[in-house]
Amino acid sequence: MDNSTPEMDEKLVRLLDGDLSPEERITVEQQLAGNALLLQQYDRLLATKAAIRHFGLQQQVGAIHSQMMAELNAPIKKISPVRKMIRYTSAIAAGILLLVAGFFAYQYFSLTPEKVFSANYQAYELNTSRGTTTNSLIEEAFRQKKYEEVIRLRDAATEPNIKNEFLAGAAALELNNLSLARQRFASVIEQNKTANTTVLNDEAEYYLALTQVRQKDFAAAVMLLEKIQQDSGHTYSAKVKNGLLNDVRKLSDQ
Amino acid sequence: MEVIRNFPDSELVANIRSGQRMEDTIKAIYRGHFEGLCWYVMNNSGSRQDAEDIFQEVLVSFIELVQQDKFRGESTVKTFLYSLNRYTWLNELKRRGRALAREEKYEKGQVHIEMDAGHTIANREGKAEVLKVVAELGDTCKKILLLFYYENLSMKEILDQTDYESEQVVRNKKYKCLKQLEQMVNANPALRETLKNLIHG
Repeated sequence: MDNSTPEMDEKLVRLLDGDLSPEERITVEQQLAGNALLLQQYDRLLATKAAIRHFGLQQQVGAIHSQMMAELNAPIKKISPVRKMIRYTSAIAAGILLLVAGFFAYQYFSLTPEKVFSANYQAYELNTSRGTTTNSLIEEAFRQKKYEEVIRLRDAATEPNIKNEFLAGAAALELNNLSLARQRFASVIEQNKTANTTVLNDEAEYYLALTQVRQKDFAAAVMLLEKIQQDSGHTYSAKVKNGLLNDVRKLSDQ
Repeated sequence: MEVIRNFPDSELVANIRSGQRMEDTIKAIYRGHFEGLCWYVMNNSGSRQDAEDIFQEVLVSFIELVQQDKFRGESTVKTFLYSLNRYTWLNELKRRGRALAREEKYEKGQVHIEMDAGHTIANREGKAEVLKVVAELGDTCKKILLLFYYENLSMKEILDQTDYESEQVVRNKKYKCLKQLEQMVNANPALRETLKNLIHG
């Protein structure tokens, strides 16, 4: 049976294009199954479609190939040794700068009155005089670190005594009684001034300054520390370094 | 700026099967596999140009095999592409009469392209003939047939890209072009055989 009419040919093209209704499709497929010539005709259409698709794919791959060769073969810019050196040096310098800046930022933001106090405070110790057995009760109590007893004995004394006053201040500082410590150290300085003496005056000034730091009275502490630093004959002049003064100034700025 | 991304094998294969995002998918294959496949050809008596030509052939074969469901995912895309590359390049060396004993031995030991896939990727000359015949069509016919059968555009979409008056005119033109190409293909029995292998493997 020869079905190669123009109508049949058009139906085969519509089958190829997926344009037939389900019913038409079943009918045409049945005709194909029973007619070898018609099947050959349809195979030729399938081959033609395959040729177009192969051509299209080849063209698309070819076009992308050109783009991709341009991308994959793009020359990598070579850096001259001098520029490379400059680049590495800059990177190292920037790294160091960052570390230094980080260190100072850490120092600045982690600075507290307690830290400054701890770094510079050392508990006062009385000198041991060999062969001397005439220690006062208050000195003995101080040596034995009976700080509350030191304060009590000072308060019980009938006559003022600069040394007892200082020991009471040092004991109060050990007990973290800052206002009492401040009073006692200030009293030592005042009594020396009145009596025109210097008994434990340098010690009183230094410990008073540290007490003021802990009390966050930074302005008073800075004034006193500057005075100690500028007095080369002061016992604590060498102890008051720029670091301590700068730290207290920074705390004052915070 | 173009966003460069890699596809996992499953997405890559799914894109090829559906025909979606073909350009991105082909580019991803280039970025992922071109250098490796190129290296193999260049280390086996091939030039850079040979490597580029073979890669394009391998890519076309791979896409056609995936679309024919002949890539079953039993190996990775990379392994499959490397096998196709070896097979295609060694065939080309044989064709040139330059296959070295070492390479032939290697081929016997390593290449496991299944026969159905082998039919699709073999016949370099036949495929070149397919391209030549389609290229001989007029530009208008090529454009309409490619838009319809390769890019899967509708008649209305094709109408928007051409100067024809109506969809029916485009339809008639497409029919005539298809018949013209059919005659050209039919006139070449060897070409029909190549296309038969392309369709059925």
